[in-house]
Amino acid sequence: MQHLLIFSGVCAAAFFLFTYLWPRLMLSAYKRAILHKGFGQGPIAVNTLFTEPQSLFANPMDKSYTGSKLAVTGVNRDTLYVMGWLDLNKEAQVMHVPDMAGSPRSTRVEAGRYYSMQFTDPSKNINFAYVGKRTTGTGAGDYLITGPNWKGAVPQGMKQVSSPNNSVLVIGRVIVKNDSDLPAAYNLSKQIQLTPLSRRQP
Amino acid sequence: MSKFYTYLMGIVGAVCASFLIRLFFFTDLSTRTLRSDILQGVLIGVGLAFVMAQVYGKIKGTKINGWTTMYGCGEPGNGMFLRAAHSWTFLGPINVPEEAMYWYTNSDGTGHTLDGRQNYIMHFPPGQLPPNDAFWSLTMGDAKNHFVPNPLNRYSVSDRTGLVPNADGSTDIYIQNTVPIDRESNWLPAPSGNFILWLRVYIPGAAILNRTYTVPPIVKTK
Repeated sequence: MQHLLIFSGVCAAAFFLFTYLWPRLMLSAYKRAILHKGFGQGPIAVNTLFTEPQSLFANPMDKSYTGSKLAVTGVNRDTLYVMGWLDLNKEAQVMHVPDMAGSPRSTRVEAGRYYSMQFTDPSKNINFAYVGKRTTGTGAGDYLITGPNWKGAVPQGMKQVSSPNNSVLVIGRVIVKNDSDLPAAYNLSKQIQLTPLSRRQP
Repeated sequence: MSKFYTYLMGIVGAVCASFLIRLFFFTDLSTRTLRSDILQGVLIGVGLAFVMAQVYGKIKGTKINGWTTMYGCGEPGNGMFLRAAHSWTFLGPINVPEEAMYWYTNSDGTGHTLDGRQNYIMHFPPGQLPPNDAFWSLTMGDAKNHFVPNPLNRYSVSDRTGLVPNADGSTDIYIQNTVPIDRESNWLPAPSGNFILWLRVYIPGAAILNRTYTVPPIVKTK
């Protein structure tokens, strides 16, 4: 009888633990891909964003980018990817996004190019925030990404994105309208950049 | 892709069930050791968790006209069982439904595996292209979810690839290995073997979010 009780207890614990941890295990593959492997151009440092190269989008059959297979759920020819892994433990990060309309004054949601920056809590595979056309519009902006223990005042002109976890998976998507639009889409994607908060307010 | 998990789920489920029945009803417990209790407890627990996530994913997911999707992915507030089911159905950090919805299929509307030796049509009735405030696309992947080389360098058709509607306002997409005569604009090149399709709708319209929009089936023509 004692054996059955021990077995059942261990079995139940393993059941709940594996169920709870599965999203984290799955996304740890993304963490490895970003921080240790990269997508054909070497590892991507923590708190920096990788921008999918134009050549990879233009020629997805290129064998030199085999690493990128890991980074998407399904084959995608709609958007350029921007990817990064954040560690907010030491300090908050500022994400700058350019004006996606191409004109400096546009703030209307309808006006600009589709893009989205998805912020995922890698311990749960939950998207806790978005910056992008649907949620914040297509104008230029600076977003302060803070961890759960962050205290301070949000600098003027920045909007706060507060993360429930110090680790954050960031996935950005910028639409490519057609082949001739690729350089413009890439140029805008490349301007989505992270800077530590301390370097923004000396 | 999804079939693999279905078979795996069946095997793992059967192994776990037969083990439990043997253990609880047909085992002389005096022969057991603490080590086997713990080791087998972990293995069976993990196995049951996998089966639960697959079954729950099938219950929570929707499969219409051969297309599989799941609502509510990535939403804050989802419980651990739903999160596990989502993370098995889509093996990646996909968008919340308001940002994007995804459908995938490896079979036609009648349940037969998509095969490049056949020709297929996807027919959108007039006004029934996927409603959206951003874009939609239909993307081709081979059986391993890789892009398919083709002479046009065309890996998807979408609202941006110049699809030509029929005279009645409907739209046909020709999914086949060789170019359809006089219909190149609406051709989505398929490989010679099995393949899968992804339908994406970004900032989906209300008809998608309230589940009244139905994705048309892939129909075999030859």
